[in-house]
Amino acid sequence: MNSKTEEVLRKDIRKSYNNKLIQKFINAGLEEIRACINCGTCTGSCPSGKRTALRVRSAIKKALDGDESILKDKDIWFCSTCYYCYERCPRNIPVTDMIIKLRNIAVEEGYILDNHFDLAYNVFYKTCHAISAIGENNKKWRELRESYDLPSLPPTVHSYPEAVKECQKLMREVKFKQLLDKIKKKKKKDNKNIK
Amino acid sequence: MVETENLKIGVYICHCGTNISGNINIDLLKEYSSKISNVVLVKDYKFMCSDIGQKLIKADIESGIINRVVIAACSPRLHEYTFRSVCEDIGFNPFLFEQANIREHSSWVNLNDPEGAFEIAKDHINMAVAKASKLKPLKKIKVSVESSCLVIGGGIAGINSALDLANNGYKVYLLEKNPSIGGHMAQLDKTFPTMDCSACILTPRMVDIARNQNITLLTYSEIVGIDGYVGNFKIKIMKKPHYVDQIKCNGCGSCITPCPVICKNEFDLGMTSRKAIYIPFPQAIPGEYTIDMENCIKCGICADPNVCETEAINFNDKPEIINIKVGTIIVATGWDLYDPTELKQYGYGRYPNVINSLQMERLLSSIGPLSGNPARPSDLLVPKRIAFLQCVGSRYYREGGNRYCSRVCCMYAIKQARQYKEKYPDCEIFIFYIDMRTFGKEYEEFYESSQREYGIRYIRGRIAEVLEDKNNNIIIRSEDTLSQQLIELKVDLLILSCGLEPNIDSDKIGSLLCLQKSSDGFFMEAHPKLRPIDTLLEGIFISGVAQGPKDIPDTVAQAKAAASGASILMAKAELEIDPYYTVVIDQLCSGCKICQSLCPYNAIEFDDYKKKALINPVLCKGCGTCAPACPSGAIEQNHFTSDQMNSIIDIIKEDN
Repeated sequence: MNSKTEEVLRKDIRKSYNNKLIQKFINAGLEEIRACINCGTCTGSCPSGKRTALRVRSAIKKALDGDESILKDKDIWFCSTCYYCYERCPRNIPVTDMIIKLRNIAVEEGYILDNHFDLAYNVFYKTCHAISAIGENNKKWRELRESYDLPSLPPTVHSYPEAVKECQKLMREVKFKQLLDKIKKKKKKDNKNIK
Repeated sequence: MVETENLKIGVYICHCGTNISGNINIDLLKEYSSKISNVVLVKDYKFMCSDIGQKLIKADIESGIINRVVIAACSPRLHEYTFRSVCEDIGFNPFLFEQANIREHSSWVNLNDPEGAFEIAKDHINMAVAKASKLKPLKKIKVSVESSCLVIGGGIAGINSALDLANNGYKVYLLEKNPSIGGHMAQLDKTFPTMDCSACILTPRMVDIARNQNITLLTYSEIVGIDGYVGNFKIKIMKKPHYVDQIKCNGCGSCITPCPVICKNEFDLGMTSRKAIYIPFPQAIPGEYTIDMENCIKCGICADPNVCETEAINFNDKPEIINIKVGTIIVATGWDLYDPTELKQYGYGRYPNVINSLQMERLLSSIGPLSGNPARPSDLLVPKRIAFLQCVGSRYYREGGNRYCSRVCCMYAIKQARQYKEKYPDCEIFIFYIDMRTFGKEYEEFYESSQREYGIRYIRGRIAEVLEDKNNNIIIRSEDTLSQQLIELKVDLLILSCGLEPNIDSDKIGSLLCLQKSSDGFFMEAHPKLRPIDTLLEGIFISGVAQGPKDIPDTVAQAKAAASGASILMAKAELEIDPYYTVVIDQLCSGCKICQSLCPYNAIEFDDYKKKALINPVLCKGCGTCAPACPSGAIEQNHFTSDQMNSIIDIIKEDN
């Protein structure tokens, strides 16, 4: 075997396991993740996995092994949080919480789907509403409200625009805005994000 | 009694190799100890428990230099008995000795902190010396031992214990709640890994029980009361009415056909029916019939002299209470199969073609409902494709499940799969597993041949959910974790390999006998390694699955061990019991009975004449529950008197 072939082959051999990802779960009080026996009940139960490439057990396994490629994997965003896996796990692991935590870590590292980022930045931060009723695109919601004799805008920040600033201040206080800015910068800098 | 002014305490410090001396400076400790009041002598040695160490102590006591012994060494659990014996050997009262644990409690827990360890060791020695100053000589209690044993449970464990004891010459009462002995082993078709016919190896033992002169068989009976203590248990037993005279009945069976009542046959797990008058299975011991009064309509047909020629039927039969006295008790209450109904995703109880492993066992059995030609319950067609699911209810950390591994399911599933394949070589068999655990003698080889010779397919994955199609076929959804693929597999029959649980009646027996249970719900052994069949109650032993899930060889081994444990006690005419019991000081007792309600061992009686509590020293285990609860301070515990405990507390107080 020449040394080049050997090098190619050896590339696939795991030489270490890191604890970086597990530690984040432990810090969040989710040390149960370590009790996984890889029985596959979660994957087999997953209604999303029947239609998408989401494989819950493999995702948990990668997190346990410290394989950070899972953070870039768009499959973790296909979980519908139906809680089947959570209900059936024989080791009583809150599997759905694990997936949510995995997403949190992914976002912290700057991996987020474009749609989600759009929603967070352009809708949630700007309007302080997850589903906004202002703007030309959302005319239908206003009309719907009016058809029920309701004011066209709900009595939230939409009706009190002066409160938007306060809400945004809150989002800065909890570092939500900073996170979004960081991701935005990263997105601009390298377009290596999820395709 | 030795007066205070004459106290001469000897302190012996053990190095325990380097276990203690490696972390604690022995010389400094000696110097410190010699300054404690009443200490007249301090010595150290590499191993105090060794012969030479023991001789050192003996010589000092015999020469009269000391009259109290304090040994600073390991845990009293390890060597208290050793040092007590040293005292006894030379006629010195063994309760004038006190052990300070400076190994586990000082050296080992402070491995990285020698100074801290030294400080704690000082405290321990100080406390032991303080207590030693207050020690009083005590006498062990002697009790006689009845040469008879009660074995509770007539399964393979109880049968083996009973036979061994009876063959040893002891009188044995074998108690069984069902009309026949045999237990679950009688339901099995074959045993792994040798594929012996289960009934063929069990029934000769059952016959031996019936024939043995030393064994009184009490089937269809229950314990209703228990009293007494090691060597002298008084047991009240209720023999349930059979409604058939067990002496007149000759087991001819001519009552069966005329009986009009058809009910579920529990021996076949409800897959077949039986009549209201019945024997549980053909080889039942005893072979006399029983009427199941819950189902009987009292039509009287069986009582017709043309039906029962011996006129054995007696509808007026009454429960009979008998009292027996035994020296020892062996608890062999066995197990029940985990009920998977609550695991809705598997459809047990909803889909006819999802069955449990004991039902499969009956289907495979040549004396089972289908005479050994298994078919699926929905349409009695022969399944071409079957699947087993392992760890049902076991290794399950959710509510309603068992955390432990049941230890037999992997092997019985392989066995059933092999048996099925032998009957129908063209069938396809899948075993869904998380881990295959085949750890016994010849077990791994059995597993290997099931793959190589029989072609049984093993899929690593726990079934997630089960559906049924319109033909009652079972659709399994799972992940093949090794290929990371989702599976949707259609099979004709699914067998759930359910785990073992403590017998439903073990709670009742346990509370009658005051036995402790481990967290898994099985009875707790006195020591998991060294006393696996003893309980914390002297004279009561556990054997078989009552102690924890195990296979037949392990059960038989344990049954023999329990018989041996009971024989050792009964071989002695007298037993000595440590005097750690509590004593009521009559003048102080107000007769409030608080202690009586708290005692976990039923050791406290109430003297109605004197209106005082009375503690039975043999039943009392010295747990200390009653003494601090007594509002009048009228209860003192030997060897742990208020005086002695206060002297220890005073030391701690001074220290801080």
